Amino acid sequence: MRKILATIKKEWILTRRDVAGFMLLFLMPAVLIVVMAMVQDAPFKDYQEMRFELLIADHDNGSIAQSIKQGLKESGNFHVTERIDGKPVTEEQLKRLLQKGDYKVGIVIPKGATAEMVNAANLVANSVSEKLGLGSMPSREIRDSLYIRMYFDPVTKPTYRMSVSFALDKLITFSSSKVLVERLSKMGIAAADTTNDSAAVTTPEKQPTENFEKIFKGLGIKEHVLSGKAEHGSFINSVQHNVPAWAIFGMFFIVIPICGHLIREREEGSAVRVELIPGARRMVALGKIFFYTIVCTVQFALMFCVGIWLLPMLSLPALQLGAHAWVLIPVAIAIAVAATSYGYFVGAVFKTTNQAMPFGAISIVILSAMGGIWVPADIFSPAMQKLAMLSPLYWALDGVNHITLRNGDLWDVLPHIGVLAGFSTILFIISTHRNKKRVRSIQ
Amino acid sequence: MSFAIEITELRKHYPGSWSPALDGLSLKVPENCIMGLLGPNGAGKTTTINIICGLVEPDSGRARIFGVDCIAHTTAVRSQIGVVPQQIALFPNLTATENFAYISTLYGIEKRYARERAGKLLSRLGLEKHADKRISNFSGGMKRRANIIASLLHYPQILILDEPTAGVDVQSRAMILDFIQEYKQDGKTVLYTSHLLDEAEKICDEVVIIDEGKFVTEGTPQQLVNKTPGCTDLEDVFLHYTGHSVRD
Repeated sequence: MRKILATIKKEWILTRRDVAGFMLLFLMPAVLIVVMAMVQDAPFKDYQEMRFELLIADHDNGSIAQSIKQGLKESGNFHVTERIDGKPVTEEQLKRLLQKGDYKVGIVIPKGATAEMVNAANLVANSVSEKLGLGSMPSREIRDSLYIRMYFDPVTKPTYRMSVSFALDKLITFSSSKVLVERLSKMGIAAADTTNDSAAVTTPEKQPTENFEKIFKGLGIKEHVLSGKAEHGSFINSVQHNVPAWAIFGMFFIVIPICGHLIREREEGSAVRVELIPGARRMVALGKIFFYTIVCTVQFALMFCVGIWLLPMLSLPALQLGAHAWVLIPVAIAIAVAATSYGYFVGAVFKTTNQAMPFGAISIVILSAMGGIWVPADIFSPAMQKLAMLSPLYWALDGVNHITLRNGDLWDVLPHIGVLAGFSTILFIISTHRNKKRVRSIQ
Repeated sequence: MSFAIEITELRKHYPGSWSPALDGLSLKVPENCIMGLLGPNGAGKTTTINIICGLVEPDSGRARIFGVDCIAHTTAVRSQIGVVPQQIALFPNLTATENFAYISTLYGIEKRYARERAGKLLSRLGLEKHADKRISNFSGGMKRRANIIASLLHYPQILILDEPTAGVDVQSRAMILDFIQEYKQDGKTVLYTSHLLDEAEKICDEVVIIDEGKFVTEGTPQQLVNKTPGCTDLEDVFLHYTGHSVRD
């Protein structure tokens, strides 16, 4: 442990003496966050036409459910999933899948929705026929509690939610109108319409339409945003996307100083000194990893402070941390270890700084683009979304989004921490082995 | 006579090279002796040192330090030897004191003893006034002296120096050579390589000349001069055995 602490101290002294590099490490991501958040603020409000996965839990199995499903499928914007593993999707299952971020939107059609719509149509038809002295259809009082429920992943953009909501509203209105016309036709309204038209219009105080709004309310839509167990959820916006995204990007840029130090120490010969000290190599490697992990974690915390306090001063929304903000600590540490291990890996694999620096910088840009840093991975093509999972930055950003947007707890982000830890372990083992060979080969 | 270093039939062929770096080299370094390992470029001096340190594995043969196998027991061997590589194996942006404190910690030496030891060595090698200067601000000779100190912090029984006086001024060189002789007087063993044959002649108790990875000859500098016809100094002996053709 003394050896690791000594290495941490040594790295601290070296980093402190490179003031410009040290400042850049913290300043550049902060500038990046401010600029990107401001630049993307407006475009982020726009919804791009994409084809999205949509879950439907149909507990009604009636005509309204059929027309909603049919209408959504025909719109071409949704890929509707009603069954998983051959079984109809349940409401609980739907919520769980949305909570995990596997789907962006889910619709629950409650049992009795069609019956309620027919009842509402009958009430309207009866109200109209009463004025005209025609017969009436069987009906009962409307229920206030029956809603078609829409569930959203908090990551979905507001414009997208509105689009889905409007589409659904339109489909319900269409179905309701269709049933109403059928009812009126049955009662002979259509035939009487031409002769009694004036009577209907000249009694404005008893317009049948005045109760329509109340009657049709029973067939309305209710939106729910699935933000976990507490009420701290937040919607995606430029700040919620850009602060974690660019903070992670900045953390991974630690690759540059790490691989630079590693190669310089080999070139200068100090790596040989360490190699000659019995049992020092692994301790020194661990010390380096610990030191840069601390640096990256501090960097992450500072970038989040920018999001919480600085950006609101620039008329941007403040960063929301979610209901389990403390879970950001293990996630930030996992990201920091992954970033550090990657830097160590690049420094070990490449022989010279001329090779390592461009590779390190460009690979981070590529991995960040793949991982949804530049553009949210949710709007990638399905193939690209699968490819995104190869990037550690994807797991890093998704893990942070789980906490800040979906109110996820430690349990929810364990897979993310696991993937990042696995990535770090593999790279650390390869790097330690490779670095040993490199140091020995320069003798 | 007991030997500090024993090398038996060492062979090493680096992948991609035309000829072997070591081709059955055998030599013995007695305890409490300064042994000069001499040879032209590419003779196998550095490979021999690297095998002794456990940095390179031989294809065959054995190297032992006080009877302990260098490859099988690298950790035990490394704690017995202090290696002064050709390069300045120090952290240039740390001061001399910071370098020695860090290296001592890696060796597991208590802080108090480490400070005391570093202080003594700094004083002996004329660097006490520069202890708090960064290595990058040192002159060539100061860097060489600091490089030696870093190799001695853990009280090694054997000191291995790979061209320790390359590129240093006359004063620094004299100080380094005096120090090496003094170190031997403390009962330690020194294995030393150099291209400066007058230097070797001056400080070495024994000299081994190797060429193309093979043993050529050995003896005290005087014995070698005496037994080689037409030679008046060690340089003549060296050229007699290794020839006048330039090596790459």
